[in-house]
Amino acid sequence: MTEKKKIIEAIPLLVPHSYLTTESNKTGSWRFLKPRYEEKTSPCSTACPAGEDIGRIEMLTTRGLFKEAWETILRENPFPGVCGRVCYHPCEKICNREEFDKAIAIHSIERFLADNAIRNNFKHLLERNPAREQKIAIIGAGPSGLAAAYFLTLLGYTCDVFEAMPEPGGILRWGIPLYRLPPSVLQNEITRIEDHGVRIHTGKQISRHFLEEARNHYDAIFIGCGHSRAVRLNIPGEDIDGVEDGLKFLLSIRQNKNPSSNGTVAVIGGGNTAIDVARSIVRLGGKVIIIYRRRRQDMPAFEQDVRMALEEGVEIKELLTPAKIIYDNEELVLTLRQMKVVGEDIQGRALVEPDGKTPEEIRVKRIFKAIGEETAEPWHSPPEKGEGILSMNNSVLAYRHQGPALVFGGDLTNETKSVVHAVASGKEAAIALDIFFREGFDAIRSTLKTCKVGDGPSPLSMEIYMGGARRSRSPHVVTYEEINTDYFQLTARVSQPRLLREERLRTFEEVDLKISAHLATREAGRCFNCGLCSQCENCFIFCPDIAVIRDNSSQGRHINYDYCKGCGVCVVECPRNAMVLEEENYEESPGGKSGSS
Amino acid sequence: MKKVLEGSQAVAEAVRLAKVSVISAYPITPQTHIVEFLSEYCSDGRLSARFLRVESEHSALAALIGAASSGVRTFTATSSQGLALMHELLHWTSGARLPVVMVEVNRALAPGWNIWTDQTDSLAQRDTGWIQLYCENSQETLDTTLQAFRLAELVNLPVMVVLDAFYLSHTYEPVDIPEQELVDLFLPPYDPKFQVDTKNPCAFGSLVLPNAYMEMRHNIAMAMEEVLSRFPEIEEEFAGIFGRRYGPVEPIACDDAEIILVTSGTVTSTSRQVIQDLRARGEKVGLLKVKLFRPFPSEMFRRILGPAKKVAVIDRNFSFGASGIFAQEVRAALCNLPSHPPIFGYIAGIGGRDVTTDTLEEIYWQTKKDEVPGKESIWIGLQEVDHATGSS
Amino acid sequence: MQLEVPEREYMYPGHVACPGCGAAIAMRLFMKVMGEKTIIVLPACCWSIIAGAYPQSTLQVPIIHSAFETGGAVASGVRAALDIKGDTETTVVTWAGDGGTFDIGFQALSGAVERNEDFIYVCYDNEAYMNTGIQRSSSTPYGAWTTTTPGQEWKKMRKKNIVEALVAHRIPYAATANIAFPEDMMRKVQKAKEIKGARFLHVFASCPTGWRIPSEISVKIARMAVQTNIFPLYEVEGGVKYTINHTPKEYPVREYFKLQGRFKHLTDSDLAQIQEMVNEDWELLLRKAGKHS
Repeated sequence: MTEKKKIIEAIPLLVPHSYLTTESNKTGSWRFLKPRYEEKTSPCSTACPAGEDIGRIEMLTTRGLFKEAWETILRENPFPGVCGRVCYHPCEKICNREEFDKAIAIHSIERFLADNAIRNNFKHLLERNPAREQKIAIIGAGPSGLAAAYFLTLLGYTCDVFEAMPEPGGILRWGIPLYRLPPSVLQNEITRIEDHGVRIHTGKQISRHFLEEARNHYDAIFIGCGHSRAVRLNIPGEDIDGVEDGLKFLLSIRQNKNPSSNGTVAVIGGGNTAIDVARSIVRLGGKVIIIYRRRRQDMPAFEQDVRMALEEGVEIKELLTPAKIIYDNEELVLTLRQMKVVGEDIQGRALVEPDGKTPEEIRVKRIFKAIGEETAEPWHSPPEKGEGILSMNNSVLAYRHQGPALVFGGDLTNETKSVVHAVASGKEAAIALDIFFREGFDAIRSTLKTCKVGDGPSPLSMEIYMGGARRSRSPHVVTYEEINTDYFQLTARVSQPRLLREERLRTFEEVDLKISAHLATREAGRCFNCGLCSQCENCFIFCPDIAVIRDNSSQGRHINYDYCKGCGVCVVECPRNAMVLEEENYEESPGGKSGSS
Repeated sequence: MKKVLEGSQAVAEAVRLAKVSVISAYPITPQTHIVEFLSEYCSDGRLSARFLRVESEHSALAALIGAASSGVRTFTATSSQGLALMHELLHWTSGARLPVVMVEVNRALAPGWNIWTDQTDSLAQRDTGWIQLYCENSQETLDTTLQAFRLAELVNLPVMVVLDAFYLSHTYEPVDIPEQELVDLFLPPYDPKFQVDTKNPCAFGSLVLPNAYMEMRHNIAMAMEEVLSRFPEIEEEFAGIFGRRYGPVEPIACDDAEIILVTSGTVTSTSRQVIQDLRARGEKVGLLKVKLFRPFPSEMFRRILGPAKKVAVIDRNFSFGASGIFAQEVRAALCNLPSHPPIFGYIAGIGGRDVTTDTLEEIYWQTKKDEVPGKESIWIGLQEVDHATGSS
Repeated sequence: MQLEVPEREYMYPGHVACPGCGAAIAMRLFMKVMGEKTIIVLPACCWSIIAGAYPQSTLQVPIIHSAFETGGAVASGVRAALDIKGDTETTVVTWAGDGGTFDIGFQALSGAVERNEDFIYVCYDNEAYMNTGIQRSSSTPYGAWTTTTPGQEWKKMRKKNIVEALVAHRIPYAATANIAFPEDMMRKVQKAKEIKGARFLHVFASCPTGWRIPSEISVKIARMAVQTNIFPLYEVEGGVKYTINHTPKEYPVREYFKLQGRFKHLTDSDLAQIQEMVNEDWELLLRKAGKHS
């Protein structure tokens, strides 16, 4: 036996048996393109004037993280409950999903998140910057003033809000009817703003005198008192009894003065106020004819509200302007001149001229003027260009070397008069003032550019300004073509239930009804989350080179550049375009292109 | 125990006694009886092995490559066309250093179809790295097959045990079948030097670049050389237990021979008779039987044939464009001796044509007559062919 | 859309597959299901090289490299050896390309399946002899350019239907799979793992190098093959029971062809003809599955 052993030991075998791994081949050196995780900007967030991080909000909602989703809204907008109801949601018009099947019902989800927060009594105080010494006075507790106060408080400032009316809210409380915005929702959101430390002084009418006094107490003043004076028609008979101001009428409803309305009524104008007046009259029992001097599609009122008005029986007569009003036999006779379209302006709105035909007459019980509002006081108007005057997207900052900085915002400065634009004003003003105090007047414009959402003329983000995670995203706005739609199924958009037409006419109850958590989650699941990583792990699953390694980082994985050959499969299979493939930079690492990201 | 067995059954008995684990073979005349016997043994439990009824010889050897890589004792048998079909994998088996044992029944290659004995088939595979052992009778066949497993597993090279078609495969001879206990002493259970192991994973036979391949080939060459010393050792051990020994070559009456005939296979048996007769008539003739062909025991040939005056090599094969293959190998072994006898090459018995005592005598007298070989190879027993009718 | 993928890798990085190689993705997914107790028989194909040059191996399981045509036969031998050693846990797998399955390896495969050898045979199909430089195989689809079907000699024979050929052997389990459908593929691998007898998986593995596509659309192209009905996903049990796993959205085949350089010579009428052929084959499959279009 031992002899056999000796023989076996004699010549060791040399055979092609491979025991070592291939890990010593750093195939990363093959690369000429390099993939990278990079979150980008979703188009909806650039269309939202408040710059809400919509893609992320929907992603959190899909996962059932309703509180976190709601907090994400609050970073950019203190009024999710309000906006989820009354906003004209420009975000949905630009939603990439529209090209696939139907745009996401972003407003339905926002409303759900806000209502859910109220129902569950969520308390959330956002992080704020260390306390600053400057004090700011805010005139008007409307959406722009309250937003300005909110954002300034987050930036560390002390704010006093002065409101003439007995309760805060501005147009939210006195202008928007109950069937669009229940007061409890509004109150909840205003209370949260107060919880952050904002002091609201109601019943305080501010005069010009105050402005002069203010320099002793305040370092800046935000003027957001809006337009409270109706624009006059300037036609004979305008001051006859029965010809009323539309906005005042809405106010009277809210003040519980219980006006009723029978018979036919004319509302002159095409904006949101005109529609709100019309739909309120309908609920009070009246019949409404809206008179508008351009075409229906030119009406500045929000499309969904115009539609609902028509559903509720409101009649719209287009291309007519009022010429004169006379009183006759307990009725008002309104003479209307016909207009014709002679062209379109650069925004596509019709340019009109009188037609020259015989004017028509209608007989109505009351006439409401809603052709626009203007500033109540001359000092409400923001100054035009000049030294020390900075016109930004949603606000104007005026600074003379003595006295506090004045910032005008809200309807005073916004071309589109909406709640969300008012919020944008407040945010812009807050950031501009913070830059003003820290870096000076000349730094404002350039520093503002650094907190934009996406590229192009886009909104500001408070999260980016305050250095949050959103700052690291690429400003590239993701297009539909960049989404890998192979990973999505055609799914019907949620249909938010509404009161039936008959029910609507009898009451000022909220028209749009709530959706369930299940429906909200499912709808949010339709969102492409453009440019955001949803942790689907396609990159990990499909990598042929096992170069995507799971880890404990916030990304959840990293690319092992020692082995990544730059094939790009991960980038194409990322459904949400949250990766980018770039040319390899040969000069970067002197020793070769290895290491991990 | 002595029994009269068909040569094929002697093979089957050896395989049974060796306790082979996996057999994979495809039938081809005249190997078929080997396959049939083994099939029967597996079926009735005399041999507990897996018998794979593959669909070709190529697949047969492929299956054994798989089985041997998995660490079990393996066996196959084939002939002629089947061996030719296996050619690619013959190289593979030796390159993979797998101790496969094969019984190869020498049969002529087609076309035309010829099922009778001819050595060209096995010799055409002489470069494939298989050890080749040629047998003269059934007893030698059984003994050599047992020794083949031992040798293969020792040096990790495959072994081909070669028999003549019909003369050995289908002829009945008395054979002493050893007892299992004695065989177990000589041939212990297979202890592989390597096998696939999921607990210690390895890739067998991957891409090898020029910087490593040559050494692996040299390793095979060294193993072949080792056979020259290990085979006699194994024979010694075998002789110790069973009392029989054959030697890599067997010289008969060579010491004072002036002319030495070199033969292999069953021709050797006939030659023994012829040598006896010639010696009785006073001719100084000797016979050298070749058993171990690969590795070629050159040293032994030099020692035994060197002193003779003439050597006549009888080839039952031919390498077209050259000469009989045994003759080539003998010439190569002797060419560097300062003086060596002329090597006469004779071709006889191709395609199963009889090699009779007359044939062998003719070869002897022809060799004695000529000073030097008239031609490289002299074909014995060719008949005239009428090219018009194709008849001879 | 989150897929449950087992964490453990059985493949090391650093292998030399082309960037975007579908065969590499296929093996990675396959091994995640198969696990440690697997022996891979690997006849000549791209994976012979991807598996690593001596002394390296890219897989964490044993590999027996084998000659080109021997996939089915070597596996039969390994299985026989394991059986006689009493190993009932290790699965024997042959991992071969289309050349070693459809053409030169067909005999050994057919033989092994006819004997109902207990092993899994996986053919990763990149539709040509890619390892030797993109030559035509019987798996090359109708219309394709290869180096042996160049110019006007583009392949005018239909792709051989290997699954049907094996179904004719009454193979216990045969299925098609695709790297772009990892969930479906892994389910089929698991199913195959649990069956005894001969099992065959035909895996569609895109080849950026041979198909003349940019490497980044490697998975996308594989998905489109299913979506256009060119490579339907289905299973056949016992040689008789057909189950279609995926009814696609019905893309026209043109969408698939226009992205690949190997098809760029096809005219509109060629594409129309191919569309008809694809429709015909799909109808045939539906009938076998007992469905109608």
